[in-house]
Amino acid sequence: MGLQDDVAKVLIPPDALQARISELAAEINATYTDADRLILVCVLKGAFMFLADLTRQLTVRHEVHFMETSSYGAATSSSGVVRILLDLERSIEGRHVLIVEDIIDSGRTLSYITRNLRTRNPASLRVCTLLSKPSRREMQVPVDLVGFEIPDEFVVGYGLDYAEEYRNLPFVGVLKEEVVQER
Amino acid sequence: MSLPQAIERVLLDERTIARRVAELAAQISADYAQAGELVLVGVLKGSFIFLADLARRLTVPNRVDFIAISSYNRGSISTGVRLIMDTRTPVSDRHVLIVEDIVDTGHTLDYLMRAFAARQPASLRTCVLTSKPARREVDVTVDYLGFEIPDVWVVGYGLDYADQFRTLPYIAALKPEVYQS
Repeated sequence: MGLQDDVAKVLIPPDALQARISELAAEINATYTDADRLILVCVLKGAFMFLADLTRQLTVRHEVHFMETSSYGAATSSSGVVRILLDLERSIEGRHVLIVEDIIDSGRTLSYITRNLRTRNPASLRVCTLLSKPSRREMQVPVDLVGFEIPDEFVVGYGLDYAEEYRNLPFVGVLKEEVVQER
Repeated sequence: MSLPQAIERVLLDERTIARRVAELAAQISADYAQAGELVLVGVLKGSFIFLADLARRLTVPNRVDFIAISSYNRGSISTGVRLIMDTRTPVSDRHVLIVEDIVDTGHTLDYLMRAFAARQPASLRTCVLTSKPARREVDVTVDYLGFEIPDVWVVGYGLDYADQFRTLPYIAALKPEVYQS
């Protein structure tokens, strides 16, 4: 398959992804009760694959809602402010909310989204991310559940893209440098 | 995992779904082998699990996009489809595959087909996991269909009842007393 040829190495193989996701699901099941009526907020697009595998292992009562954002201009603003293209279809006031992310990098966008959601007065607001690059962090944002901490490399697959490609690789891989430079 | 109380019976278990999704992915990969890139348009919220499993099994280059829709209502009667969030990718001259969890009356899919056809894609097809032929009110073409199912309220694998049961890993019939009460 052509796309896999662009990958320098597999960082997290499918088995390791699934094993860790089972652990994350178990933690979520242990953290919340059915009475909490947990709301999962998925920030599109990158997190959809993680969300699909994570939520199928949740036994605690929950709902899934989506948000989609885009940056206002070419560069992400230092405050992390983004345009909300798709907002939640229901109020989260008084509800327990868990944001599901694919990756936390600078933390700026996530910081803005958490600030935005907090103004809506949820009962609790936590963050679950599959991947985190701590060395890239520019804005401190509390993350409650992390699948994997990874080095500062260009990762693709399992929902993560490069110019919209590679999202559907079943593993997380590092893109070859020459592929990034060619663009 | 024990069945939730509201579930009457499992219609399609995980293995049955996985096998069929693999078959659909193989068929789509073969059909689009020469097409270049395929744009998968997932209809939120119900299609995200199907799309995640389908996309992983495709061997043709593809990009994933999502749209969100709701309906215009007059009282309790739906009078049309409202697009809440459009695709981010322009679809003209691209090969587009609309991915849906279920086709029921066919009105939503019919609307989407007309809306996307107007954008002059290179090709436009539909891939739907489940279909209830007994409920059909308008003719729609489903190019890739997972399963025909009976006219009962189904949940799981993306399908919900009032936002509940959406992420069950199988597709199950809800007990009638749950949705009739």
